[in-house]
Amino acid sequence: MTEATTTIENKTGIHARPASLFVQTASKFKSKVNIKAKGKTVDAKSILMIMSMGLVKGTEVTISADGPDEADAVKTLKELVDNKFGEE
Amino acid sequence: MADKIKGKGVISGIAVGTILLAGQNLDSFLVNYKAGTLEEEKKKAANALVEVAENLHKSIDDMNAKGLKEQAGILEAHRMMVEDPAMSGAIDEKLDASGSAPKAVLDAYEAQAQIFEAMEDEYFRGRAVDMRDVGKRIAKFLLGIKEPEIAGKVIVAGKEIEPSVIAGLPTDKIAGVILGAGSTTAHAVIIAKTRAIPTVVGVGDGVEQMADGDPAILDGETGEILIRPSEEERASYDEKIKKQEELKAYYATLKTLPAKTKDGQEVILAANIGSPADVDAANGFGAHGVGLFRSEFVFMGKSDVPQEEDQFKEYKAAVEKCDGNLCVIRTMDIGGDKPLPYIQVDEEENPFLGYRAIRISLQRKDLFMPQLKAILRAGKFGKAAIMFPMVINVKEFLDAKQFVEDAKMELAHEGKEFAQDVQVGIMVETPAAAVMAPTLAKYVDFFSIGTNDLVQYTLAVDRGNAQISYLYNHFNPAVLRLIQRTIESANKEGKWAGMCGEMASDPNAAILLMAMGIKELSMSAPSIPRVKERIRNFTFEEAKKILDKVMEMEDGDKIKEYLTSLK
Repeated sequence: MTEATTTIENKTGIHARPASLFVQTASKFKSKVNIKAKGKTVDAKSILMIMSMGLVKGTEVTISADGPDEADAVKTLKELVDNKFGEE
Repeated sequence: MADKIKGKGVISGIAVGTILLAGQNLDSFLVNYKAGTLEEEKKKAANALVEVAENLHKSIDDMNAKGLKEQAGILEAHRMMVEDPAMSGAIDEKLDASGSAPKAVLDAYEAQAQIFEAMEDEYFRGRAVDMRDVGKRIAKFLLGIKEPEIAGKVIVAGKEIEPSVIAGLPTDKIAGVILGAGSTTAHAVIIAKTRAIPTVVGVGDGVEQMADGDPAILDGETGEILIRPSEEERASYDEKIKKQEELKAYYATLKTLPAKTKDGQEVILAANIGSPADVDAANGFGAHGVGLFRSEFVFMGKSDVPQEEDQFKEYKAAVEKCDGNLCVIRTMDIGGDKPLPYIQVDEEENPFLGYRAIRISLQRKDLFMPQLKAILRAGKFGKAAIMFPMVINVKEFLDAKQFVEDAKMELAHEGKEFAQDVQVGIMVETPAAAVMAPTLAKYVDFFSIGTNDLVQYTLAVDRGNAQISYLYNHFNPAVLRLIQRTIESANKEGKWAGMCGEMASDPNAAILLMAMGIKELSMSAPSIPRVKERIRNFTFEEAKKILDKVMEMEDGDKIKEYLTSLK
């Protein structure tokens, strides 16, 4: 399993657009991908679970993946968060 | 033979289409549903998710091909909610409890909807409706209830109709609206009005005689509805439909023509709107901008104070759609008659003479400032104006104006872009404001006469009271004098006066008001062609003579008769 920790930096947090972008990206990978924040771990391929977490700016999240392309998945998703989902 | 149902016609016109039931209750279907074994039900549910997602896919492609991007976007979000990996697990869990696939689907999406509803963010709270919609869609599939195909035009019917149902359908797809409830002020009816969709209300249980996909004819004038009409019955409406089409075609020819008298005096005809989408419909009728944007929709149905950012988006959209014409945005006009969770109004004996509109705004900086800032920012994208409702004296206006200045300071401080030159005016809808118009005109940028309230307050007549509603008449000489005084006061100070009450949509009033010196008439958009036609049939010289004569007359009903008789 590969994992990486980062912080949500975009102003609006993980709103609908960033959430769907995150889910679409995660779904491209074969590995099982999870996102953990505030002590909760959810399936990163579920937009509902992610939206329900209410991830606002400043929240620390851990992205983990388990499977054949786990390293690539974690790297890509972390970059997406670090680039503020292409916002701002 | 058709099933005949009679209601009250509120928006005239003939509609022919197929019934689309809104807010359908699934209870009876759920009771009759025969569930299989737990394994079978789980399989059925899983299969339904795949099938519904596939159907949505097709609809999305279809809409994209037709250029309906907004609708496609909504369905795309729904598709993701169907395919979400979290839902299949949640449905299985609910299945263990109920043993019925459709019930489990509804329960699972309801649970998710409640999670969203409890969230602080307004955007997420709004998604609860979508969750329930999606749950229902899948449950219907499982229950074998066909999704109505919106191939041709539909007549939307329901005991109650969620405004989102009508707002969510493209205008050219909705032929008519049938509402079980008797309300003419239901949000659905107001939307139908701005889009000129023939509507019948108050059919009560009549809605139960209809099924999705039933062909139907509706007459928005007589209130008659025919369900499953025979060929002859259908044909009997041909004449009426033909006339309607001819009138529509004739009005369409007026669209690009100016609202000018024969001798060249012009007036601006603008639209009253309730949401940014209404501007599109208004432009279709040849409106030049918006004379009244009722901002109430921003405040209704919210559990908390609406944020600046959310309001900004709405106002900006409306201002942009006005395409360089003025967009007059009225600040919050709410009171004790429709209280909101975040506006505490004690029970009042008479809410229309109570704590409402500008009286609340001036005391609630937390409500007022975000709205003013949002309008000022929207002004950067075209021409916006701020209008305060229910003002009765100079002090209220000056206090409100100070808020506008403060809002500008705050915006400058926050480094946000805004328009410096946004006009600030008032609704003249109290006799006090009309009487004091010469003084108020020194301070405001414009007046807009709100005749609905001005007539009620001046004549002390509640138009909703059937016993005395005959007294309600905007041609009452007392009312006409207040209106003339208001218009002349504005012109004397080099300001402009307009009108946004119902009188503005009365073709007989238009020439009179022009002679008084009015610069703008704002009305529900479908009335624009009728008013324009009237204006184009007279000269300004004639109009002035008519005004002189009317101001000598003593009886409102006689004035109305006289104006109607003019050719």
